[in-house]
Amino acid sequence: METLGTVRRPVRDLRPGDHAWLGYVSQEERRHVVGAFVRDGLLAREKVICLGAGDELVPGVVGPPPETLLTVVPPARLCGGDGAPDPGTAMAALAAEVAAAEALGFRAIRVAADLTWALRGADGLDRLLCCERLLEQTARPSAQVTVVCQFDRAACSPDELAAVGGAHAVLVDPDPEFEDLVLRITRTFRPRGLALSGELDASRHMVLDQALAMVMAGGHGAEIHLDLSGLTFIDLGALNMLAEVAARRAGHALVLDRMPAQLRAVMETVGWSMLPGLRLGVQG
Amino acid sequence: MGSLEHRAFLYDGTEDFLTGAVPFLRRGLEEDRAVVVVARAVNVAVLQEALDDCRNHIEFYQSEKFYEHPVRTLNQYQYLVQEKSPRRVFALAEPVWHGHEPRQLMEWIRYESLINEVFGDSGASALCPYDRVGLPPAIVEEARRTHPLLLTAGAARRSDRYVPPKAFGAGCDRGLRFDRPPTAEYLPLESDDLHELRAFVGERALAHGLDALAAGNLMTAVNEIAANALQHGTPPMGVWVWPDGDELLCEIGDHGFWRPESGALTGFLPPETALQRGFGLWTVRLLVDLLELRPGWDGTFVRLHVRRNARPGSHGDRKL
Repeated sequence: METLGTVRRPVRDLRPGDHAWLGYVSQEERRHVVGAFVRDGLLAREKVICLGAGDELVPGVVGPPPETLLTVVPPARLCGGDGAPDPGTAMAALAAEVAAAEALGFRAIRVAADLTWALRGADGLDRLLCCERLLEQTARPSAQVTVVCQFDRAACSPDELAAVGGAHAVLVDPDPEFEDLVLRITRTFRPRGLALSGELDASRHMVLDQALAMVMAGGHGAEIHLDLSGLTFIDLGALNMLAEVAARRAGHALVLDRMPAQLRAVMETVGWSMLPGLRLGVQG
Repeated sequence: MGSLEHRAFLYDGTEDFLTGAVPFLRRGLEEDRAVVVVARAVNVAVLQEALDDCRNHIEFYQSEKFYEHPVRTLNQYQYLVQEKSPRRVFALAEPVWHGHEPRQLMEWIRYESLINEVFGDSGASALCPYDRVGLPPAIVEEARRTHPLLLTAGAARRSDRYVPPKAFGAGCDRGLRFDRPPTAEYLPLESDDLHELRAFVGERALAHGLDALAAGNLMTAVNEIAANALQHGTPPMGVWVWPDGDELLCEIGDHGFWRPESGALTGFLPPETALQRGFGLWTVRLLVDLLELRPGWDGTFVRLHVRRNARPGSHGDRKL
């Protein structure tokens, strides 16, 4: 869905003027990414405006929402005279909140908008693109506003997702779970797991173990994938650790995807039978 | 599974070879064992002719391709035994004794001794032919020390010179020399973060003619030994790298005294899975051409040898 000219950017690197999007496969992914966006904003005492969130909890908010910082635009305010959500009404409501925040002197304003509703029913795409045009006008020229639009992939057709992608200059990625000069660990959601890049050795086993524990905690025992395409080194202790993690999950394999040739050579020297519970996944 | 029957077959010429080998293999077939022949090309040819009626029931491998690296060969035999289980393996197993440097030759002799330990409970029967006409007498003599059983001139008996593997291995290690040229490049190990060490080793490996895969294997091996030293050793610690003829040598040293429980068998016995102790050192032995361990008065030193013209991934498991 990434069209030419689309930039991928982790949440922490979003900046005012960005009009970004997220196509989530699960509420877990939405909570993870949007949660970080909202939380970072609240911590920096920026204005956060959430749109279309319904009456569920806003991701990233712990405890009672700080009223001056966080505004939730309820679904009722998105609806036109016929009681159905309407782009004009919704965007007017949003524009009013942005203007109010500007008037209060907020240096930065974050908008988190789940727009899946716009695609429902006839003429969904037209309705959505109308919203996006208005959002684009709000965000792009601004030195204050950052917008993250969200879409439930399950509710979108491939064509719709392509159109959504075309309407945004930035695709938002999760922030790394861990990053230093040698190793980066990032959550993945399609499939569920982690992407590793850099080098993994004994001094960083602990952070991988923690990241894996977190993925497993939310996984209901499903398979976990490790995307190793960016990993240039793995030590034998890490193989041992992964086999141990897999053994704890009896029956649910750890799948190693896109393993570089050098790493595979080591695995094959060791022999897969030495590594019960680890499985070679997709290649290349 | 029962105990191993590991017998050296000291023969004189082709006719004598067939007189011992053919009845052994036929007995294996009669007892419905998994019968395997790993022999030099010449012996594979004469056996296939002599066993023409039942050759399809025997797996033949060529020694020249099967015996390339002692620890990998042990590993291959282990796979073979696992693959055939619950059938027991009946193997005619003839290593290659020509064309080795003295150091490698000793590792192959040690390999014969290790068979007793690694396959002690496998229930396998191995007959290891030694050609008394073609082989140096010293090699034949070592066979009496590495095999508990002998077959000579049709007579089966125990070898009274047999030495158990642990003691035999200790004898092999006693002869190790550990001098190091003053030109060896050195990197001190001062941090838990081994990134710099890997870069140091990787760079030298490529500069000294290792291909990317072999350099990566060496990096993995050095990293493992260094991580062990950091965990269990005593400072100062460091790594030396230098070329030596056809080989690149890499030595990891620390000031502690590491005397592993399994003594001279350390890292030679294949673990069942990566979860078992000993997995790391065993893998290091697979990744490099030779690992030498020397605990002594001045510290513990692990020396890794890698051929500079290494053929990547040659595991020699081609079946004939």
